[in-house]
Amino acid sequence: MCLSLSCSHHNPIACIVPPYMLRVLALRGDPATAEMARTLLRHDEEIRAERASHASPPPPLSEGFAGLLPLPAVDPDLCCADRRIHDGQFRAALPGNLVRSEGDSPCGIPDADLAYDSAGQVFSLFAEEYGRNSLDGRGMPLVATVQHRRNYNNAFWNGEQMAYGTGDGKIFRTFLELSVIGHEMAHGVIQHSGGLIYENQSGALNESIADVFGALSQQRALRQEVHQADWLVGRGILGPGINGVALRSMKAPGTAYSDDLLGRDPQPWHMDHFVTTTDDNGGVHINSGIPNHAFYLFCNYLGGRSWELPGQIWYRALQDLNNPMASFSDWADQTLRTASALTGQGSLEGQMLRRAWKLVGINV
Amino acid sequence: MIIDIATDGGFGGIAAAAMHKRINPQEQAQALRDALCAAFAPKALQQMTQGRSHDCPDGLRYRITIIQSGQDPCIFTLSEAQMPPEMLDLIDSV
Repeated sequence: MCLSLSCSHHNPIACIVPPYMLRVLALRGDPATAEMARTLLRHDEEIRAERASHASPPPPLSEGFAGLLPLPAVDPDLCCADRRIHDGQFRAALPGNLVRSEGDSPCGIPDADLAYDSAGQVFSLFAEEYGRNSLDGRGMPLVATVQHRRNYNNAFWNGEQMAYGTGDGKIFRTFLELSVIGHEMAHGVIQHSGGLIYENQSGALNESIADVFGALSQQRALRQEVHQADWLVGRGILGPGINGVALRSMKAPGTAYSDDLLGRDPQPWHMDHFVTTTDDNGGVHINSGIPNHAFYLFCNYLGGRSWELPGQIWYRALQDLNNPMASFSDWADQTLRTASALTGQGSLEGQMLRRAWKLVGINV
Repeated sequence: MIIDIATDGGFGGIAAAAMHKRINPQEQAQALRDALCAAFAPKALQQMTQGRSHDCPDGLRYRITIIQSGQDPCIFTLSEAQMPPEMLDLIDSV
């Protein structure tokens, strides 16, 4: 069955497009193509029965299938952040009321001023260490909303901006902590670096890479070397009565909290304990513990500053990956290729990286 | 009509931290009752499911079950992005 696309008289995609390819198009296509892909995905259930009668294994992505969104080169105009912090006033409408723009004095709303300062620190990490001009590499404004909704136990990147709740004071007391802010902003970097589909292993990689750059933002701001850092994501954001130190630990996945209300931190540190689930988009916040731990181990082998060589490898690997459906193995392979490019074939650093991946159960 | 709302997803990915509310509009004040019935009418929810949907990183998903006497429950799954801000404010206020 061929699907006609009402948005175009001539469209190169005139036959059944597999869902995985639609997801890539939804992620990387221009607005019209992305909307087309999302429409087709919504109708996927309706056509699945008929498609199944013509089922065949999805074709592998050919080398000719390049990402539709070219990766940006280093922006020659790289200069300064363009921060725009909004007060959500405890309501859901985004972005809310603009309270502090780039260069403004503190506005007196503690959450907004903290978000402003932290966004600057994350911008500096990407700009000064990796030559990236903002999240898209082209100087896009850093739009954030604080005090989003009422008692909102969450923070997110919605494709265009960051939003931070205040927490309900019981489970979470805040989301304005530098590793969290760096995490959300890194989702923007990932989106504009080719993307990683937010489910299963590719989604867990998306989460892990966001945790990595959140942690690097924190360590760089504190000028901590590898062995001085606590490697926690979201330290101090849990409520006062919660038995836990953070939301996640890259150093010891599975140990960040153990609480009567929240349960135990479910993150594995090894592929032997990979969690297969339909919850949480296939456990994207759970299985991220495995690549998180690989990064931690690699940093510990090298010592020094994690945002330098390890961060360079992770950042460059993300730019070179071009595989929104990447598995953990695909990602590990890419990091090794990048490490070889940066440090030489057969380098000690490459060997340490290979060992780190092996220790979490990924042989490359 | 009973409105059952449950979330999953989010930055923490913690099931235990997810929201769960069960609302009986009949137990609410008139104005709120009317707002709930309008916002959570199955037809309105069905229309929202047609809206732009994507799993934004760390975003919440809402599973809304509408239970009306004499009818099978209607279940709708919506991303936060698909729901109007007024509706989210309504959920937060109850």
